[in-house]
Amino acid sequence: MNGVHDMGGMQGMGAIDVDPNELSFHEDWERQMFGMFLAVFAGGHYNIDEFRHAIERMGATNYLTTSYYEHWMNGMQTVLLEKGILTEEEISARMAELGKGAS
Amino acid sequence: MASHKHTAEMSDTVLRVKALESLLAEKDLIDASALNELIDTYENRIGPRNGAQVVARAWTDSEYKKRLLEDGTGAILELGFSGVQGEDMVVIENTPTVHNMVVCTLCSCYPWPVLGLPPVWYKSAPYRSRAVIDPRGVLKEFGVELDAGVEIRVWDSTAETRYMVLPMRPAGTEGLSEDELVDLVHRDAMIGTAIVMAP
Amino acid sequence: MPVLTKDMVAGLVSTGASARVDADVAPSFKPGDRVTARNINPVGHTRLPRYVRGHTGIVDRDHGVFVFPDGSAVGKDKPQHLYSVAFDAVELWGPEASDDFKVYVDMWDDYLDPAK
Repeated sequence: MNGVHDMGGMQGMGAIDVDPNELSFHEDWERQMFGMFLAVFAGGHYNIDEFRHAIERMGATNYLTTSYYEHWMNGMQTVLLEKGILTEEEISARMAELGKGAS
Repeated sequence: MASHKHTAEMSDTVLRVKALESLLAEKDLIDASALNELIDTYENRIGPRNGAQVVARAWTDSEYKKRLLEDGTGAILELGFSGVQGEDMVVIENTPTVHNMVVCTLCSCYPWPVLGLPPVWYKSAPYRSRAVIDPRGVLKEFGVELDAGVEIRVWDSTAETRYMVLPMRPAGTEGLSEDELVDLVHRDAMIGTAIVMAP
Repeated sequence: MPVLTKDMVAGLVSTGASARVDADVAPSFKPGDRVTARNINPVGHTRLPRYVRGHTGIVDRDHGVFVFPDGSAVGKDKPQHLYSVAFDAVELWGPEASDDFKVYVDMWDDYLDPAK
């Protein structure tokens, strides 16, 4: 699809921001997202093309204003919902439970 | 167990990731110790030193270099590196007249077995957009100024083939051992946004 | 599908999952051929970037037969030859572009026509 992910040749994206001492993961949730994606992928529940297409369908503004592993989270969530492996209701319910438990 | 490091207001992203992990574990789609093993593998054990070993070998063994350029996957496997996001490797050689640079304009495809996980800049809009339209400008931002006669080849990783640049061996390194050469080769030289410097 | 366990991780990591397909599919092109990228604009998944569509390049190498992502994303397998195609900068970006670089794009058979 002609989404904003198709960036070759675009201009105005700003300077290339290089962090010479960068870590692979900046937050714990990024680690978990990375591991989760690979583990579910290894289980054969989606293929790489389905996953990429799900990211491409994130919505332009969402895509441009979120971080790399947030893209993965969006993509994986979308494919799991579309394949009926998870439902929106159970995700929301679990988030509510976990949110309460954190205080 | 949910981490209680955060205040009652965990961000939506953090909550959602935790929720997904919790649900997937419950449904036996993921196993926590496998996740930890995957994370540890890519955070601590697979990185650009792998690629540097490939480069140093190619610099010191001309028959290996030939094999590497003909069959990147096979030659890289000879050194024990292979697998996820590097199943089909192509190695492209820098010469005095050709400089190679690798990008994935559409997402972030990168040769994990030899370079580990990609840096944030490689996955970000500025590099992805500019590498294919202004490679000389991008290189300048990285502090690389090529001679006017050098042709730049930008490889857009649109498929599952993964590219690694074989940088030129700098002059003045003839006396160095293979191990010493490995130390000279940093990640960006194998992406194509740096040159290898003699010590 | 069995869940991935810790002891399976090393094997998974070192084996991966190649998209190469062992199928007897004839290539439409060979290295040296001049080819033109099709002007397709699918709403579904494609790995043919917009900046290449309609432009003419030269096949640099034939990587062999691979999974075709446009189909794979929707359960329609159509493995075919994958090529690296070299495009001159001026061809992609116009006569004002600098003429000292080329862009090599991996492209499947279905993305290409013989150049006129």
